Amino acid sequence: MTHAVGDKLTPFVVEEVSTEGMKDWAVFLADPNPIHLDVEVVKAKGLGDKVINQGPINVAYMINMLMQNFPSAQIKTMDSRFLDNVYGGDKAVASGEITAVDGNEISCSFTLDVDGRGTVNSGTATVVI
Amino acid sequence: MSEDILPSAPDVAGTSLDGAGLFTISAEENEALCATVGLEPSSDGSAHPIYYYIATQVGMGKTVAGVCETCEFDVDDGPMMGSSAVKFQVPLMVGQSYKVGGEILSLVRKRSRKLGVMDVLTYRLRLSLPDSGEAVLETDNVWVLPRKELA
Repeated sequence: MTHAVGDKLTPFVVEEVSTEGMKDWAVFLADPNPIHLDVEVVKAKGLGDKVINQGPINVAYMINMLMQNFPSAQIKTMDSRFLDNVYGGDKAVASGEITAVDGNEISCSFTLDVDGRGTVNSGTATVVI
Repeated sequence: MSEDILPSAPDVAGTSLDGAGLFTISAEENEALCATVGLEPSSDGSAHPIYYYIATQVGMGKTVAGVCETCEFDVDDGPMMGSSAVKFQVPLMVGQSYKVGGEILSLVRKRSRKLGVMDVLTYRLRLSLPDSGEAVLETDNVWVLPRKELA
């Protein structure tokens, strides 16, 4: 398969961000921050009325998008910026495009967007195919 | 309060974040993690790359609360992730144990229109193979610590 600058990547879609998944990630991350687990805490802190997805899960969605577009590739570098929260129940879509091709290295830019609130994460990556 | 009289951020650059033990990515946890994000685990033995963050964060020498405490910041005041970057030398593998090292790079006090006074914390963590010392990855994380008391 050939790759070219400007090629759009197939989006990775999360139809509904799972609140149960946040409980699992609290264990994976050894971080029981209640804003990911208890909506009453989120309300009390004035952060909204739904539990907040752990930031690394949002990064994982963007990684999934890269892995599905480049199935046998290895990620060489990746950076991501956290612009806004993702909440339980949100529909989140990771999408991107190829920004450079250098031999077997492909660079991409991408975003994670949430229905109704726009881009919540953005980043770049270089994968080796 | 004008910017020139903001008190300095705590001097924490250089604080070690070296982990005491090893972090091992188990096949069971990798499978469970992949399920939570809607991805089939790789069949080649590699772990989900997001373990770059989990392994370093869990395996470093301080908890998130402990890092905040070092920065004289109460974790209950809500640290926020600003950015995360990683450079992989080799993929992460299921069943492999990793040594975690790292340090705080900087803590910079700033004034933000949105957040008021905040400290921007940057720390670097590394994974290496415990026997050979071979580098596996390096990651820089940036956290924003809102200083409500200085706003």
